[in-house]
Amino acid sequence: MQLIIEGVGKLYRGKVWGLRGFSLTLGRGVLGLLGPNGAGKSTLMRILATVTRATEGRAIWDGADIAKSPDMVRSVLGYLPQDFGVYPNLNAVEFLEYLAAVKRIDASAARKRISELIELVNLTDAARRPLGGYSGGMRQRVGIAQALLNDPRLLIVDEPTAGLDPEERVRFRNLLSELSGERIVILSTHIVSDVEAVATDIALIDHGGLVVHSAPETLLQSVNGRVWEIVISSSELSELRKSYLVSNTAHRSDGVHARVVADHAPAASARPVEPTIEDAYLSALAARRSQTASAGGAP
Amino acid sequence: MNIRAIYHIARADFFERVRRYSFLATLLFAVYLGYAAAAGKIALRLGDYRGVYTSAWIGANMAMVASCFVSLVGFYVVKNAIQRDRATRVGEILAATPLTRAVYLLGKWLSNSTVLSVQVGVLALASIVMQFVVAEDPHVDLWALISPFLLLALPAMAATGALAVLFESVPILRGGVGNVVWFFAWSTLVTLPVITGHEGFDFTGLFTVMESITRAARAAIPGYNGEFGLQLEVGRKMVVAGNLRWAGIRWDLANVLLRLGWIGAAAGLALFAALFFDRFDPARRRGLSAAKRRTGQKATPPLSPLLRDEGISAAPVEVSHSYAVTHLTPLSGARSWGVPEMFMAELRLALKGYSWWWYAVAGGLLVAQCAAPLDVSRGPLLTAAWIWPILLWSAMGAREARHGTEQIVFSCPGVLPRQLPAAWLAGVLIAVAAGGGVAARLLVAANYQGALGWFAGALFIPSLALALGVWTKSNRPFEGLFTALWYSGPLNRVPGLDFSGGANGRHTVEYGCVYLALSATLLAAAFWRRGWQLGHS
Repeated sequence: MQLIIEGVGKLYRGKVWGLRGFSLTLGRGVLGLLGPNGAGKSTLMRILATVTRATEGRAIWDGADIAKSPDMVRSVLGYLPQDFGVYPNLNAVEFLEYLAAVKRIDASAARKRISELIELVNLTDAARRPLGGYSGGMRQRVGIAQALLNDPRLLIVDEPTAGLDPEERVRFRNLLSELSGERIVILSTHIVSDVEAVATDIALIDHGGLVVHSAPETLLQSVNGRVWEIVISSSELSELRKSYLVSNTAHRSDGVHARVVADHAPAASARPVEPTIEDAYLSALAARRSQTASAGGAP
Repeated sequence: MNIRAIYHIARADFFERVRRYSFLATLLFAVYLGYAAAAGKIALRLGDYRGVYTSAWIGANMAMVASCFVSLVGFYVVKNAIQRDRATRVGEILAATPLTRAVYLLGKWLSNSTVLSVQVGVLALASIVMQFVVAEDPHVDLWALISPFLLLALPAMAATGALAVLFESVPILRGGVGNVVWFFAWSTLVTLPVITGHEGFDFTGLFTVMESITRAARAAIPGYNGEFGLQLEVGRKMVVAGNLRWAGIRWDLANVLLRLGWIGAAAGLALFAALFFDRFDPARRRGLSAAKRRTGQKATPPLSPLLRDEGISAAPVEVSHSYAVTHLTPLSGARSWGVPEMFMAELRLALKGYSWWWYAVAGGLLVAQCAAPLDVSRGPLLTAAWIWPILLWSAMGAREARHGTEQIVFSCPGVLPRQLPAAWLAGVLIAVAAGGGVAARLLVAANYQGALGWFAGALFIPSLALALGVWTKSNRPFEGLFTALWYSGPLNRVPGLDFSGGANGRHTVEYGCVYLALSATLLAAAFWRRGWQLGHS
């Protein structure tokens, strides 16, 4: 089971590249795709889900080019788009039954699977209500259920926890972890804590290009010994931000506790702290942007 | 009244529309109308006569084309201003501002009227070009040329824009029912002044033009019988009445005020619509509140303020029970080609959401087809039976785009060879079930030619619906076009346009074959387009 992405690019109307020269090879596990808004995450997801075609490059699923043989990947794909709708007059069971037919799932197997999925996403009580009356979080859970409907080998989920309450979000993370053993899961999000919790691999993407692809441990090592915590007054905070990359702040009774990513201690009182993925993510993005700026071109 | 807010709502809406490719299509439609009028394909006729192409005649001819055709088609073009705000969820943002219903709807009315007025502007330019190209009368009278646009066509556009706002505000008229109702409302509005003989009801201005031209024609054409109309070319040659050099409508204060009154009435209509407008409040939406009442749904409790911040969610959360993938039965091998399942799924989806009385009427029509004399069955009963499911057909091909399920459905295997044919077959089955009584009667009577005509109709309707749905991603084009076709063909029994075959007489087989060929072409067009969409969503 392998997904190879080779130099994939997508040119939108107005000659804007949403993605360019993107290459990556994936095996079993959860890939956390991190990046700021507009980085190209959803474009990549849509290309891999065969919803749109790449302008250049190719993606290969188990030896087959997905643009040439889209049904090969569609038959093993579970896809949860960032924005999706539902048919408001159908209830959750009917909607999933409809999609089971579209996904060519045998009717009796589908019935059992739907019943299990409804329970899994905690919609048993609401399963017979029209979807038009669902809250955003409930619709999102229907979206999660449909993505798992065909027992996918390739699961692509774009901002899956958007709209979920904290409890549902943690439950979904657990589910992704359990699923990852048997399949390739691509999780796109800008919520670093979601990736931190489940990803076996992390890819950082910015301005349509791959910034870094590594295991979470490797990414953390890149900022090991470079993350500091410093306690300052509120009035000093803006000055600190001008000079250093501040990854987090928290107001406490003794002042503002600021996390700083820097090669050297920003002050004598600064103490080194354990780095997080968020520190590593911000550091990698800052390094990429400073490289691009010093090269004199737009990123 | 907040004039600035009205202006900015109209401005934003106008820019949003004109920066879409679909606006180019509406401009091309206006250009086509201009060409059709200039080429005499749509013309003001006095029976077999027409007047000399003076500035007044050309202006009135072109302005009436704008008034009548742009108002009919343009309504469908602009009847989505509020819907767009609903779909894009901009409406929810607006609802949280101090904006009043009246200001919002006046802004939308202004935008609707401006979009339609751009089409009128294209035709006004075409009329100037036409006078120079045709060159029957070298004298250019700019006021006579332009005044019909200003005083006849623009008020008609204002009224159309306001009616579109009203239809979008009244829940039952917001969807497909409104699109069908508009055709009949428009037909009534156009004929009302002729029926009543009262200029005050003259929505399009056609009656005003008629009164002026026929008066001049009686004086200029000996034996003129008073016939008048804005007609499509029907093969009859027109004779130019050389003596009829119509100078245009004599505008006096009373009739200018009457025309401007339509603009005032239109603004009033937009304000009246505010009584029905739900201001994007989901609780006031008919379908949703009914559904919630039925199911007793409670509002989702709000999160505690602390938990609203996504960043805080990394804190430990006690989870009552966990998603456990081990509960899921693996699907290995449980795959099906699933054509019958797909067909049943599409059929269920198409039929879902209709009340029992809808099925009762459809069933009643079917029973009546079996019981009534064959002529009645094949005539009015089949005509009624094949307009009744219009909203089922109009959703075909457009449903995925309308409900935002494109990405989910299009990323499934075999959409082109399975899902699209299943949707089409579901549409065919609905046509067959709705008009099946007539088919059975024709076969029993051994009227195989009639049965062929009926069969062609049963295939043509869903093919047209699917093609228009897939290409336009909207239900409105089918609802508008099919209603017009149904009105001309089966209802008014115009041979050739009657896709049900009942009015085609001895040409039933020929026309049946034409409709079969059309169905095949439309189906091919739908498949080609959906194939393209599958890689370009």
